[in-house]
Amino acid sequence: MLEFRGVNTFYGELHVLKDVNYDIKQGEIVCLLGGNASGKSTTMKAVLGIVPPKTGDIVFEGQIINKLPTAARVKLGIAPVPEARRLFPRMTVLENLEMGAYVRTDHENFNEDLEKVYALFPRVKERRQQLAGTLSGGEQQMVAMGRALMARPRLICMDEPSMGLSPAFVDQVFEIIQAINKLGTTIFVVEQNAAMALSIAHRGYVLQTGEVVLSGSAQSLLQDEMVQRAYLGQEMND
Amino acid sequence: MSFSDVLLQQVINGVSLGAMYALLALGFTMVYGIIELINFAHFNIFMVGSFFAMWVLKLTGLIGQRVILTGFPLVGVLLLALVGVMLFCGVLGVVIERTVLRPLRNVPGTAAMITTIGVSYILFNIILLTQGAAALNFPNPMPNVFWKIAGASLHLREVLVWFIALLLMVGLNVFVRRTRMGKAMQATAQDQEAARMMGIEVDSVVMLTFFLGSALAGAAGLIFGLYYNFTSYVIGYTAGLRAFTAAVLGGIGSIPGAMLGGVLIGLIESLGGQLIATRWTDVIIFTILILVLVFRPNGLLGRLVPRKS
Amino acid sequence: MTQSLGQKVRAGGITGSMWRRIPADRRRKAIVVLVAIALMFLPLIDRNGGDIDAAANACAFAVLALGLNIVVGFAGLLDLGYAAFFAIGAYTYGILSSWQVQPEWWDFWTPFQWLGLVARIHADGVPDVVHFTVSFWLAMPICGLVAAFFGALFGAPTLRLRGDYLAIVTLGFGEIVPIVARNTPYLTNGAIGLNGAAAPKIFGYNFGVDSNPYYYLGLLMIAVLIFVSFRLQNSRVGRAWVAIREDEIAAGAMGINRTQLKLLAFAIGAAFGGMTGAFYVAKLGTATPDMFMFPVSVMILVMVVLGGMGSVYGVVLAAIILQLLQSWFLQDLTSWAHMLGHTISVAWLQKVDLVQSIELIFGIILVSMMLFRRQGLIPAIRQTPALSLEQQTAHAGRGGFAMPIRGIESAKAEPKRAMIETRKLSRRYGGIVAVKDLDIVVESNTIVALIGPNGSGKTTTFNLITGMDEPSSGKILLLDQDITGLPAHTITERGIARTFQNLRLFSNMTVLENILVAMHSRTTTGPVAAVLRTRRSRSEERDAQERAIEIIEAFGNRLLPRTNQLVKELSYANRRRVEIARALASRPKVLLLDEPTAGMNPMETLELADQIRSLRTMGLTIFLIEHKLNVVNDLADKIIVLDHGEKIAEGSAEQVHSNPQVLEAYLGRKAAHA
Repeated sequence: MLEFRGVNTFYGELHVLKDVNYDIKQGEIVCLLGGNASGKSTTMKAVLGIVPPKTGDIVFEGQIINKLPTAARVKLGIAPVPEARRLFPRMTVLENLEMGAYVRTDHENFNEDLEKVYALFPRVKERRQQLAGTLSGGEQQMVAMGRALMARPRLICMDEPSMGLSPAFVDQVFEIIQAINKLGTTIFVVEQNAAMALSIAHRGYVLQTGEVVLSGSAQSLLQDEMVQRAYLGQEMND
Repeated sequence: MSFSDVLLQQVINGVSLGAMYALLALGFTMVYGIIELINFAHFNIFMVGSFFAMWVLKLTGLIGQRVILTGFPLVGVLLLALVGVMLFCGVLGVVIERTVLRPLRNVPGTAAMITTIGVSYILFNIILLTQGAAALNFPNPMPNVFWKIAGASLHLREVLVWFIALLLMVGLNVFVRRTRMGKAMQATAQDQEAARMMGIEVDSVVMLTFFLGSALAGAAGLIFGLYYNFTSYVIGYTAGLRAFTAAVLGGIGSIPGAMLGGVLIGLIESLGGQLIATRWTDVIIFTILILVLVFRPNGLLGRLVPRKS
Repeated sequence: MTQSLGQKVRAGGITGSMWRRIPADRRRKAIVVLVAIALMFLPLIDRNGGDIDAAANACAFAVLALGLNIVVGFAGLLDLGYAAFFAIGAYTYGILSSWQVQPEWWDFWTPFQWLGLVARIHADGVPDVVHFTVSFWLAMPICGLVAAFFGALFGAPTLRLRGDYLAIVTLGFGEIVPIVARNTPYLTNGAIGLNGAAAPKIFGYNFGVDSNPYYYLGLLMIAVLIFVSFRLQNSRVGRAWVAIREDEIAAGAMGINRTQLKLLAFAIGAAFGGMTGAFYVAKLGTATPDMFMFPVSVMILVMVVLGGMGSVYGVVLAAIILQLLQSWFLQDLTSWAHMLGHTISVAWLQKVDLVQSIELIFGIILVSMMLFRRQGLIPAIRQTPALSLEQQTAHAGRGGFAMPIRGIESAKAEPKRAMIETRKLSRRYGGIVAVKDLDIVVESNTIVALIGPNGSGKTTTFNLITGMDEPSSGKILLLDQDITGLPAHTITERGIARTFQNLRLFSNMTVLENILVAMHSRTTTGPVAAVLRTRRSRSEERDAQERAIEIIEAFGNRLLPRTNQLVKELSYANRRRVEIARALASRPKVLLLDEPTAGMNPMETLELADQIRSLRTMGLTIFLIEHKLNVVNDLADKIIVLDHGEKIAEGSAEQVHSNPQVLEAYLGRKAAHA
């Protein structure tokens, strides 16, 4: 469904992603692990067209989308849940959800989808008239996921959905990710919470200083010694 | 006329001026809200607008204040001038944005601001060189109808000015709050990258913002002509500076703030001129600008934006 | 073909090749000297008084452009009302030397009469009055000071705000100064203009109305200002300006008082504007408000933009070009157009006046320079040497820094005390609580690690401690002194240095310059010392350079070969090293490192960990945020765990890792209990 073929990106003169390959298949949850500054967020920005690849191709459903602007990619069915949520703080929750559906032309189905989102996140429905900037972190994360769903996407890209959330909320967020996936949406998730992400993902990639150093099924990654040491806090349990 | 009547008269004048400043301030505030740029070209888009409105009115056969219209012809002529000047200035604003400002959008520092000064100067001098330095008579077809309120008089042209300004501001508010494009504008102003991720074409939003802001400046240009019965190449500079002060006073980036600030500056101008002296008006307004920046940099209605950590 | 080309080069290029063999800076000096000599002989060659008069005016505008260049080019502040300072200087000189202001005589004036600053004028039938007769040479610096005073007065409130507000405030200031001049006829004679400003005298020679002495004085002023500009640019002050232009927040963290330095640039610019005002009025003998309107400010700005913002020679060249354009070229062009109009009998060509279109040309210059050549005619460039192959290969070194770094106080034998302490520290943003009731103690000469999931408030805590963000409540203490709410540069001065998670280096400065900027709070050279290059400032600069090299040397082969490289050309890991080196340069007591190993590979990570450890051995206290737990476990004397802005655990690695809350925060509830 989504493929990176030898992608290289640069910030100014800084080489960020180095010859990166990913292959995400329809219906999967794929997680991307790596430390800060390893290129995780750049990957997300490359998928959405905010950082263009210098060389290599990004392919979505067989179509090379390197040159497409973000809006066109969203129309093709890629929706983001950005890092730190990035809601529109001085808009109401409902308006934020409307912005999620911005590219859609089938306005008649809008209310139906809104109900679906409300069913998934009852809390969001309660808060729909509140300004998004006044919500708590967990509530904001729910709105951000709801906003992505309003685009009726085929692929959702999530950048650190557990960031800044309490453990109870983190569990909930990952349950919802699984639920969304079961409804047929492919999910590409960047996470620092490796244990949690791998527990729900089908497959995973590990990035280090801009290079993919490891990839495989979630199971195999969970058992990999390097992953255990670096990301699973194995040393904590020593 | 007693002193209180004089004051009332000055309030009427002030609100009329304020309506014009408010329209002009909206353009500053909208562009600043979206791309954080002080658009100095706005000063003279307004000035060019008043010339364009004058040409439109002359084309309809009006000469100075001699031809008086009433009823439908009056409304028709004014509507034609209003729509014409708004379209013209809107397009002018978009052309400026597309040709010289877009290439500089992501250039850090003062480049874009310097460019708008250059554009402003070009507009200013084109009008000066082609139209001359003398003030030109602005056709005004409105009958000299007025109502007495206490000792002050309220002219038809003032009522009309208020009406046009109010109509446009209400229209703008409805557009920004209710329509899809208006909401896209709001979203872009609040978080440009997130807006882009939602599929909003930020370039189109910026263009739209320039169109609307410049169109309102054009309307303000028409109002200037109808109110003062003249236009000249120099009007953009003073009015622009006052309107910018209005935008800062109201809280830059805030649409209701620009409206409130505009009316306040109009009142300060007319009452200050009455109570102190007209020749000090600009000094008073400049002092207000400085005081607002020192004591309330977010303006009267400006919001405190939470800083990103 | 190749041969003929080669022959041509050889034939016509003997002098050319010799010329090229001279080093670039010598070549530049030679050009400048030649041009200067040519200019000095100009009045002997060109006997036309009008030409010399135009040239003297061009000198005045070149000086104005150089003054504005300090504001716009060096400090990056857009000043749209520069003519206001020109006006203030002009009127100040006018008042000090003309018959305009004549207060009644009383004893107060007697001492001034002795000094020759005033004269007592007696006329029959009226009381005696005072006539100001301040010498031009004394008045000129006074005019500079008065203009600088007004610059500071209007700059101070606005320079604290975003840069673009300054543009509009200066525009307003430029607008009202002529208005005030027009409205205060007592001081200025209003719109009619001041009368009879005295011409300068030197050793009994009166400049009078002859243009030549003004021309030479103008040349001298240009020379002085070029000298001042270069001295400032290559000094502690100039580096701080570049740093502010590059990244304001990082500049604050380097101990640079941003408002003060911007104000300094603004005031220096104003002072030169004021001095030129004195020159101009002395030459003209009068001043009217119309001479200082907005178009004058724009013209000076066009000179700076055309020449290149920050480019000293470029600005002078542009000023001269534009003045010539106005006083010579456009007039000639107009008469040619008229002649052409007559011969081909085109009516509009016979009437066209190109001199009037000069302002239109200014507008076009501004726009096209910004679009096509932002660096100006003569860019203010800097060259960086290429790296040799050997220098490019880095050797990973273990074992930390081999030599102690000067400026780090060695650890004292006394018992450990609280270096940094926070009490009930909180920060809220809208509905989100980033840090909540945080109590932290970092003991002296220890390494304390702050860990926790992303978004748990670690960086916010650092921002609060270093004054980049203000706490909603709570206190921060450094060695028992309250530092809550102090500005960032003061906190750096007190001894806290930091690095940034997302790297905030001055990317268009070299590695060495980055480190020199960080010494700002430990050095003292001000603008005057920088211009005069006093013995103290020279030794301070030499010492700073030596220390900077020492710090770079500590990172060995990683940084040393790249000393004069621009930071934007470095790899990620090297940028991290420069950030640490830069933080060390401010002679901190405590070093705050925000994810120092992010983006580094395992080998580089180990190398850096060793270096951090050796910093503690040298006596430094280190407080670090780190995600790589092996690094943390290895280094930290104490670990503090944050979750949701709250401290959930504190202690040694073992203590922290056995804490169930920590496991939950890191792994999620389910996984922790699985």
